[in-house]
Amino acid sequence: MQPPGPGWWLGTDNLGRSVLPRVMEGVGTTLLLSSIAVLVTAVLSAAFGILAGYRGGYLNELVMRLVEVLYSFPAIVLAILVAAVLGPGQTAALASIVLVTIPLMTRLVRAAAVAVAQRDYVTSAVISGARLPRVLVRHVLPNVAGTIAVQGTYALSVGIAVEGGLSFLGFGVQPPQASLGVLIQQGGTYMIAAPWLILGPGVVLVAAILAINVVGDGLRDRLEPRETRSLT
Amino acid sequence: MRYPRLACGVAAALLASACAATGTTTTPQAAAQETAAPGFLAVADQALAPGGTLNLQVHIDSGAATGYDPQLADVATTWQLLSLSYETLVTVGPDFSVQPLLAEKWDTPDDRTYVFHLRKGVAFSNGRKMTADDVVGSLKRLLASKGVWAGQLGPVDEIVKDGDDRVKVTLKEPYTPFLAALANVPAAILPMKEIGDKSVDPATTLLGTGPYVVDNHRQDVSWTFKRNDTYWNQGKPAADTLNITIAPEEAARIAALQNGGAALATLGNVDSASMLAGAKDVKVVTQATTDFYYLMLNSLKPGSKLADPKVRQAINIALDAQQIADIALGGKGKPTAITPAGLPGSCDPATLPSAAKSVEEAKKLLAEAGAEGLSFTLTIFNTEPAPAVAQVIQQNLQQAGITVKIEQMDEASWSGKVYGKAPAEFDAALSWFAGYADPGMVTKWWNPETAGFNAGFMKPDKELSTLIDAANKQAEGRDEALAQVCAKADADAQMIPLVTRPATVAYRADQLSPSLYATEGYGNVLRLVADARVKKSR
Repeated sequence: MQPPGPGWWLGTDNLGRSVLPRVMEGVGTTLLLSSIAVLVTAVLSAAFGILAGYRGGYLNELVMRLVEVLYSFPAIVLAILVAAVLGPGQTAALASIVLVTIPLMTRLVRAAAVAVAQRDYVTSAVISGARLPRVLVRHVLPNVAGTIAVQGTYALSVGIAVEGGLSFLGFGVQPPQASLGVLIQQGGTYMIAAPWLILGPGVVLVAAILAINVVGDGLRDRLEPRETRSLT
Repeated sequence: MRYPRLACGVAAALLASACAATGTTTTPQAAAQETAAPGFLAVADQALAPGGTLNLQVHIDSGAATGYDPQLADVATTWQLLSLSYETLVTVGPDFSVQPLLAEKWDTPDDRTYVFHLRKGVAFSNGRKMTADDVVGSLKRLLASKGVWAGQLGPVDEIVKDGDDRVKVTLKEPYTPFLAALANVPAAILPMKEIGDKSVDPATTLLGTGPYVVDNHRQDVSWTFKRNDTYWNQGKPAADTLNITIAPEEAARIAALQNGGAALATLGNVDSASMLAGAKDVKVVTQATTDFYYLMLNSLKPGSKLADPKVRQAINIALDAQQIADIALGGKGKPTAITPAGLPGSCDPATLPSAAKSVEEAKKLLAEAGAEGLSFTLTIFNTEPAPAVAQVIQQNLQQAGITVKIEQMDEASWSGKVYGKAPAEFDAALSWFAGYADPGMVTKWWNPETAGFNAGFMKPDKELSTLIDAANKQAEGRDEALAQVCAKADADAQMIPLVTRPATVAYRADQLSPSLYATEGYGNVLRLVADARVKKSR
């Protein structure tokens, strides 16, 4: 383990590898994995949340109870359960992130859809003879998209945490592949003796989450112009 | 303005990192070893008053699967904990020599007969005196059990009481490792009277002659041991209470050492000494053990290329044990053959047939076996340094065109996958064996008919088994026989020995004066814990 120097700007790890390329690989792995998972979450949550919020009744009850069952599990326990069934690897990490993030996003989308469903333009569309898919896609979805975008950014940070936890337990990204979670967990072990190991991925992680939140905020401002704007 | 500030912040942080790395100049390992007697890393200060509470931390509580019965215990981490309450007829000294314990001496009238003279005044922790019947019954029970250690006792013909204080064991043929096999916890002397009348179930109750009795055990959380007031060895144990916390996280054990929460902890990370360098009052020592890591190749998995000996030999050739020792173990391990490096009479791994061959020859063997582009999954547990060892293996095999996918899991899941089914479902797996005190003992695990735990992934090799038995039969001129075993196991390559596994122990010098051997053969870091003197308890 060497501290940062001219040959290795972020130092080297316990196996003598330069940390910088590991961090770069880790950013790619983590963001790609979490983004794909959050995209899947967004699609599923949008579908179920909008349907449940707009239609109400038994469908609403069914979706909400299922979501509450998932929500009742601590995130990491649910992730371990999924990983134990699917086996260690990226697929398990991806599925875990989806299952961990889907309950909250579905509930929020459903709440937003309930409010949107009461709006006059939706009622007008229905009276005008618009079919259900058109009402949902043209009138409800665009008005809950801000919620999905903002919640997506939160889900992305949760996804990064879940990926890190799973990778640490050996169920997520497998060595030698790097992810920010793996690097931070490994760095944590050496935090006193070799703080550079956690510093690089830690700073990148903070920067990534900040950037994601700024993007989410901007998206909300663009997609929900009549809602409360961000403070910035 | 933001960018210069950010740059300054990052630069300051990196500078701090660099300073933190270069500011550690203490060498705790050397300091501890300077004060120890020959053969010891540390010797307890007998001038300190006995008593007090000793807080220890270990990484795993592995007894759940087999219960408390020492004869069924099959892993070193379980032996270590059970050794606090159970004792054997003989034990091993710092130089791997067999020494008296519950037998104060023994005679060997011929090379097949051992007469043990039992120590007087030994009692179980319930107060009942240990008798020759307990010894005879315990050894017979072990031989009749399904415990893996039964195979280590060798060709026992007869175990009989020879007077009130003597037990005679007759072997069918000479068996050199016999005494060393008796020195391990599965050969402990059990309270056979109580087991016979069913007043004690050894699967749920620890009742031995050892220095401590169990006061409380919470699986995977902690053990509490209290001193055994009937213990035969006057003045021992020194500490009244042992609190053993199960802390799977290495970082948690290190933090406990730093803040004084633990007086002694076992560490798996080879960089532990660096991580604890500069920590006030913490000493880190490394025991040279005969334990070693090995690679299992599943030759029983249907359709697997690993069933072909040429493929396994190619893998063996492509592995660079020295590189594993240097990179993954920070130079603290040593390449080894099937006989553990460091034991007298062990083979030199540099003379193995595979060591003389090149990666090109490995590629040629793969081509002959039609296994170019071979790819398999290596299943490992996530405890350090296994992931590091696996990554070096992955790089080694890549040189021969073999792609290894690493699959890491917690130790319980790993154990289930590797040993849970027959035939086993894994392709390759990484594990370690205790190397014991005799070079022939561990070789017996290369015979799956003796080592049933290997039967799910390993085909018996009759020639190898014959060589192993022949080597263990010899007392004189054994080196040549062991060399033949090493060469044959090297060619068989169903289990490939890699590097020795050092044991790192750290302790608080302000809280504890421990005794620690410089060498250990049975994975038992706590072997001398009854000698440890508590300076202060937190």
